[in-house]
Amino acid sequence: MAGSFAIRLAASTNEQKGSGPDLVAIRLDYVAKETGSNLVRNITLTLASVLTVAIALAFVGVSYLIGVGIEGSFGGLQSDVRMFVYMNPTATQDQIDSVRKALEKSPQVDSIVFLDQAETYKEFKRLFKDQPDFVESIDPKELPQSFRIKPTSTDSEVVSAVGKQFEDLPGVYRVEYASKLASDIKRSLDTLNGWITKFGLALIAVSVMLIFNTIRTAVFARRREIEVMRLVGASNWFIRLPFIVEGMVQGLIGAIVASGLTWSFDVLWKRNFVNQRGLDLLNNITWESSNLWIAVFTVLTVGAVAGAIGSGVAVGRYLRV
Amino acid sequence: MIKLEDVSKIYKGEHIALRDATVEIEKGEFVFLVGSSGSGKSTFLRLLNRAEIADKGVIYVAGKDIGSLPSYRVPYLRRNIGTVFQDFKLLPNKTVYENVAFALEAIGRPKSAIREAVPQILDLVGLGRKDGSYPHELSGGEQQRVSIARAFINRPLILLADEPTGNLDPATSVGIMKLLDRINRTGTTVVMATHDRGIVDTMRRRVIELDRGRIVRDQARGVYE
Repeated sequence: MAGSFAIRLAASTNEQKGSGPDLVAIRLDYVAKETGSNLVRNITLTLASVLTVAIALAFVGVSYLIGVGIEGSFGGLQSDVRMFVYMNPTATQDQIDSVRKALEKSPQVDSIVFLDQAETYKEFKRLFKDQPDFVESIDPKELPQSFRIKPTSTDSEVVSAVGKQFEDLPGVYRVEYASKLASDIKRSLDTLNGWITKFGLALIAVSVMLIFNTIRTAVFARRREIEVMRLVGASNWFIRLPFIVEGMVQGLIGAIVASGLTWSFDVLWKRNFVNQRGLDLLNNITWESSNLWIAVFTVLTVGAVAGAIGSGVAVGRYLRV
Repeated sequence: MIKLEDVSKIYKGEHIALRDATVEIEKGEFVFLVGSSGSGKSTFLRLLNRAEIADKGVIYVAGKDIGSLPSYRVPYLRRNIGTVFQDFKLLPNKTVYENVAFALEAIGRPKSAIREAVPQILDLVGLGRKDGSYPHELSGGEQQRVSIARAFINRPLILLADEPTGNLDPATSVGIMKLLDRINRTGTTVVMATHDRGIVDTMRRRVIELDRGRIVRDQARGVYE
């Protein structure tokens, strides 16, 4: 008789299989209800996680905007670029190629970047975006193409000696040198912003750990339910999903707060510094609203992912199914 | 229905909980597992719903080798095996109705099916009027009836009971045994670990005795000793 009951068991399990993967069978209202009650049950831990995520991601969002601003205000200046060789607008391709070869051969030149007319015009438009009439009046073809050069030495005397070698080459309009002060300022700002980013990233790691801990506590608080669920044959995902969603929700709420903070920073910065007199250093550091959207989108994504990682690890570790 | 071939279970590499057990239990049987504490009764039951995995040997449940079942299939095995414990394992913050309904919610049954099935099973176990009570408001016997209702609501092929009367007085135990007997007569195989001599001697069903992990007696219509 055992055979016919084997069929009954097989049939009932096949029926489960036929209804699709476990995830689909889980009712959304169940997950929402469970997640909600878990979030409320652990309100202090949840708040700690959410606030840490918010602060961490606010640092990341703000440092991204400042980074974009620094790049923009220093005209794409790399802190190591010290020398510019501008070609005549009328320079032929042969002339450009021979200058490039001479630069590449020079032992005092570390690396070069060539900007053609299209790229130069793009940058020109960006630098003078406050003066559209002026931009209108310029034909891209009138703009000089240029090489940006990173010399092996940073000593300004050595650099200008190197530059002299190229001044008289055919097609060269003139050689210019980056102000050491500007480079140094940019380098300092880059460093400062780098630390803001690192601080934000470190805090993200802390957030993941806090979410991990919150979910671990939630798993522990619900161990009786979990035991019963296992006993009656709840699928693994049915047991796990509310916890993982809980972690993601914590990450997302934190990220939404961080987005708000980043947006406030955007508004305050632009109102107080940008295009104000007397703040020469800061008033050029600005960014497009598209950058703000990128920042917000990144913050939300990172928040959800951090939450999922933190809770996923906790569930994997402490929720044996 | 259940078949063990040379099954051994060793905890932490030393303590042998079950040693070379070979036994077959037919569909619809009622089997008592007896033996002193630590003789391996609970391990025997835990192996059947894969709460534990055998270290040696093969276990078939309904013709399937459950040792080779991938872990994501284990829940589906458990849906065919009801389990009842000495300590009931009811959720204290849920009512009788909610405790039983939870077993169906957890396997994703629709609400309408739950609303229909739960009152039926509560009537079956004699708790039709207590559906709104919380576990702490019930007697031990009533709590065990709730846990049996939860274990049986899916009409499992097998019901495992680990000392279900261990916390109950004799009169209450009789009621629980009548209920398990009734469930058994619907065709459900019942395997029950127990220390209760009176029950075993009264019921006169198959008795499997374990001693330090070995099956030392397997007797149809047996007694406790």
